[in-house]
Amino acid sequence: MIPQRELFWNIQGVWIFYLLVSVSILIFAAGMLARVLSWARGGRGLKYSFSLNCLSDLLLDVFLGRRIFRNDPGAGTSHLLVLWGFLGLFAGTSMLMVDHYLYHCLTGLSYLLFSFLMELFGLMLISGLCWGLVRRFIFKIGRLEKRWADLVVPLWLLVAALSGFLLEGSRMAAQEPAWGGWSSAGLLTSYLWGGHDAALSSYRIIWWAHALVSLGLIAALPFTKLFHMLASPTALYMSALPEEAFLPEQTVKAGQALSKRALVFLDACTRCGRCTEVCPSAASGEDFSPRRFLLSARKREAVNYGTLPAAFLFGKRDVPAESGESIYNRIWNCTTCGACADACPAGISTIEVINCIRSEAIEDGTDVPQLLAKTLESLTKHDNPWGAHRKKRFEWSQGLSVPSISGANPPDGLCYFAGCTTSFDTRAQMIARSFVSILDQAGVNFFCIGKDEPCCGDIARRVGEEGLFQFQMENCVELFERWDIRDLVTSSPHCFNSFKNDYPLYMSRDDSQKAGSFRVRHYTQLLKELLEQGKIRFERSIPSRVTFHDPCYLGRYNNLFDAPREIISAIPGVEMVEMEHYGADSLCCGGGGGRMWQEDMTCKVTISERRIAEADAAGAQMVITACPLCLITLEDAVKTAGLEQTLRVLDLNELILLAMGKREK
Amino acid sequence: MTDTIVCIKQVAEVEDADIVLNDDKTGVLKDDLVMGINEWDSYALEEAIRIKESSGGKVVALSLGDEDCQDILRRALAMGADEVVHIDKNGFEGSDAVGVARGLASVIGKRHFDLLLTGVQGSDDGWGQVGIILAEILDLPFASLVVRLENHEDHLTVYRELESNTQQIVELPLPGVVTIQTGINIPRYVSIMGIRRTRNLPIAGTGAGQLGLMNSEIGTEGSCVESRQLFIPSDEANAEMLEGTLSEVCEKALSIIREKGGTD
Amino acid sequence: MKDILVLAEHMRGGLREITYELLDAANQLAGENGLLSTALLLCGNAQGMPDDLGPFCDKVLVMEHPELENYNADPYCKALERVISLKRPFLTLIGHTANGMDLIPSISYRLGIPAVTDCLEIVLKGDRLECMRQIYGGKIFERIRLKNSDQYMLSLRPGASAGRGLAGKEAELEHVPPPDWGGLRGRRFISLYEPEIDDVDISTADVLVSVGRGIGKPENIGVVKDLVEALGAVLSCSRPVADKGWLPKSRQVGTSGKTVKPKVYVALGISGAYQHQEGMKNAGTIIAVNKDPRAPIFKFAHYGIVADIMKAVPLLKELLDKN
Repeated sequence: MIPQRELFWNIQGVWIFYLLVSVSILIFAAGMLARVLSWARGGRGLKYSFSLNCLSDLLLDVFLGRRIFRNDPGAGTSHLLVLWGFLGLFAGTSMLMVDHYLYHCLTGLSYLLFSFLMELFGLMLISGLCWGLVRRFIFKIGRLEKRWADLVVPLWLLVAALSGFLLEGSRMAAQEPAWGGWSSAGLLTSYLWGGHDAALSSYRIIWWAHALVSLGLIAALPFTKLFHMLASPTALYMSALPEEAFLPEQTVKAGQALSKRALVFLDACTRCGRCTEVCPSAASGEDFSPRRFLLSARKREAVNYGTLPAAFLFGKRDVPAESGESIYNRIWNCTTCGACADACPAGISTIEVINCIRSEAIEDGTDVPQLLAKTLESLTKHDNPWGAHRKKRFEWSQGLSVPSISGANPPDGLCYFAGCTTSFDTRAQMIARSFVSILDQAGVNFFCIGKDEPCCGDIARRVGEEGLFQFQMENCVELFERWDIRDLVTSSPHCFNSFKNDYPLYMSRDDSQKAGSFRVRHYTQLLKELLEQGKIRFERSIPSRVTFHDPCYLGRYNNLFDAPREIISAIPGVEMVEMEHYGADSLCCGGGGGRMWQEDMTCKVTISERRIAEADAAGAQMVITACPLCLITLEDAVKTAGLEQTLRVLDLNELILLAMGKREK
Repeated sequence: MTDTIVCIKQVAEVEDADIVLNDDKTGVLKDDLVMGINEWDSYALEEAIRIKESSGGKVVALSLGDEDCQDILRRALAMGADEVVHIDKNGFEGSDAVGVARGLASVIGKRHFDLLLTGVQGSDDGWGQVGIILAEILDLPFASLVVRLENHEDHLTVYRELESNTQQIVELPLPGVVTIQTGINIPRYVSIMGIRRTRNLPIAGTGAGQLGLMNSEIGTEGSCVESRQLFIPSDEANAEMLEGTLSEVCEKALSIIREKGGTD
Repeated sequence: MKDILVLAEHMRGGLREITYELLDAANQLAGENGLLSTALLLCGNAQGMPDDLGPFCDKVLVMEHPELENYNADPYCKALERVISLKRPFLTLIGHTANGMDLIPSISYRLGIPAVTDCLEIVLKGDRLECMRQIYGGKIFERIRLKNSDQYMLSLRPGASAGRGLAGKEAELEHVPPPDWGGLRGRRFISLYEPEIDDVDISTADVLVSVGRGIGKPENIGVVKDLVEALGAVLSCSRPVADKGWLPKSRQVGTSGKTVKPKVYVALGISGAYQHQEGMKNAGTIIAVNKDPRAPIFKFAHYGIVADIMKAVPLLKELLDKN
């Protein structure tokens, strides 16, 4: 016998099979189409572009599952097995169809290889699935849910794969091919059957069973978690695309708040829970988790904008009963730290979804937390979120003779943009005072905007008040153009991030404005340069164990980790230690995303206290920050945690000034 | 369906500000001050919008002031008002409550409405009269200091705030006038985008001349006030101010509390 | 002889304190200008109230009618209109209370009598009337001179006048027949209502620690709660804090909240606006902490501390813990 496979060997009523296939494919196609079309409903658009870099990244993430291996090699391996097993078998089935309908190529050696590979893929699939089920239900890994759906779908796949082996076994028992050795698993299975006839009748039954299970799986695919096979790669690709600015003319009507990308994100979520594991809010015991939020959002989309059957199928019962509680209550905990977006293997940025819904809540107006509303109103009226009168903005510089913009002389040199928090908060004012002292010592030619310094608008953007953000942005840009300011340095990573990443986005869509016509740096970058140029010298030794807290908006958002560390390490006497979570894994201090200006979200150990505990555990005596919000929140946490005797929180500027042998009162 | 008219006023916000009087001490210098909607009126406006949302009908907002008060009228539009009218301040300067009420009434009187809302008082002058005088001019039943409002289409049940944590339940037939007290609701946040979207919506404007009001009825001539002299009260504190470092001061305070409070 | 008419306020069969304050002010002005003071009682059943009024004025007018049983602007306005048209008093004084505020604008407009509300001080110089009141939340005072008129109407702020001053008069009693009640606009009094308090009754506490707008945000109240517990005191607040829902309304001290007379009242971040002052001015010892040295509360507190309450409160607690 020539090694080959006859597709419908000994099967009657093949027409039924074709019917089933058609039905299955129809349902599959309809489901896929429905879900993909639902993405198109999204409000804000994207600049669709193609980039080779993006594509290669995508391929690595999809086919090698790079992100899934992060922090959990077991997950990475089991997923890879399942993925390749599945793809291999899919390719194999396609080959069979080609072989049967087009060109009989699987014959002889090619068939033997084919058979061997199919077994390999099948075993990979089965072992991957089993491992996955064991991790979830027996090892009971925390972040993995244990619902019926999490059991049924893998089991279904498992049954399909196992039935495939049984099918092969019974066929081999019936055919008794000489090349059985190439399909050892099948051969082993074939021993289940005693005789030729028993095997044959079994074969027929198993054939139809296998067909039904497999076709059923295909049809159900768009309606189960397996849909992530399309949604997740799409999400991964889209997450790399540059965002489009939100135009004020676009009305955020109900149903339009979410961008197209956000809708894809909702569908791409496989509920793996990595986001919740790294979320500072969830970890502090607050009533928030990114996963639960995404699923609420998904449910809301399905229930409000999908059809009822869709709502049922897409997981109406997925989310724990919220009894009519508005999703608007679930969005204010997020500090926008970005840890979840970093951790998600599907590239989902929960922050973006939260931001979309925050915009909707702001436009609606009735469910905005009162303190936040007051802060935004203060920003509109007084140009700062602190409710302080505009006149007092430059008071931090008292006694320091800092050059500022005046009517007579146009400013020259570097513009130091202090920012709202640094200007008004008494503790944070030390950042500005220290920084200008350092600049003076280093002989840098700089100036400040003074009491007319506007707010960069970042907080408005983070809480979803796009209109206010654009209003502030227009003010800032107009001021920069009026005074021809082209080189900025900021205290706050938030201002820095806004100027660097958000402003060009909005400016470039308006042709009359020059996009990115100014350079902006964070002060850590400038100080590192000054150190390298020898303009800053460390005269004093600071014998202390020092750790650096990476601000989210400097580190995770803008990949700037090294400069502060290089500076700190250059200080004589300093022993640098790292906290458990540092660099890109840094734990948020809890001050971002508008949290600074909101009511306390009751929880036992606050986000900031957790971070301080880490500093303590690392044996640090000093925690150095590079952000005014981090400085304030962490210092508060030291007090509430009772660690004032052992731990000190300082801004990098203050440390540098100390090491330079100067002291700022 | 309840058609509501709301009167709103723009006032200078003085909470955190330093107030400076003008030269002849008859008024306050407004240059450095931020203007905003009168606190009581923002509650009234929110209540009007809520009535529209639950019972249907229209909301019309009126404001008597200079052209800056168009800001608060835009805010009303952004919140959901159907129409807004600006009565120009020209001719009304120096009016007392009756003069202002006459101005507003000359616009309101020509319209159909079920309910007229105003705030209890203005945070600047604190007269607390305009809403009720409007009721008199229009010959309508009224209730003031309302902290809770239940709409029954042809009448309202309102809860008036009295002293000592007591309230008075009153039934008011419609059409009628209600002055709204703070705390009745939580005014919604109005986004900048929301306000920008009202940019192209019309604000009807009118003035004393068009309304046919005579100088004897409004302005300084029509006012019962002959003169006003403002003064900033002396800074003198009558309290014994405790001196020293914060620790010392706190110690003293604690000993006072212990001594006078009879606590353990 | 011209007279000063005072509208007596009553609740549940008894005269309210404001009535005596108004009569005291009326008597002062009457004495200085050779006028008479008259009290007007509009009620359902006068009971002993005319006798209570007797020592404090020259004349007591009583109008009794079921329509006037409970305060209602419609019949009260009509009644007052009747009395004023009949008696033509030179000056009518009403309290700037919830009911007074309700009444004075309509009656003054109806009769075309110039009116000024919420006065702290009244000065009568011959025919010209001058009054002093606050504007901009108490930051500024104004002295208003009214134009010439036969009659005036003023509302007086509760607490502005000392209270039961002059006694020892013997008032003439006169019953005024009620007007024809036709043409009322249909406002109906239903009932009085006291919202449920399932919370501590702050009026029974010996030591109250009260927070005001200066607390900044509700999460800061937690720090104060710690201090309150350590002191064995009770937490209360001013109106803005209750309006925002940061503390229940049952904790509110002030004219529309509770009037309290604790042994010690500690006011944290409270400016001292009169409505609040009214609610606590009779406390044994008032200690005020505020970062604004010009806060009105320092004018009537016994002890003052100029400090940031968020610094002072934790320090107080710390010192308390140490002892």
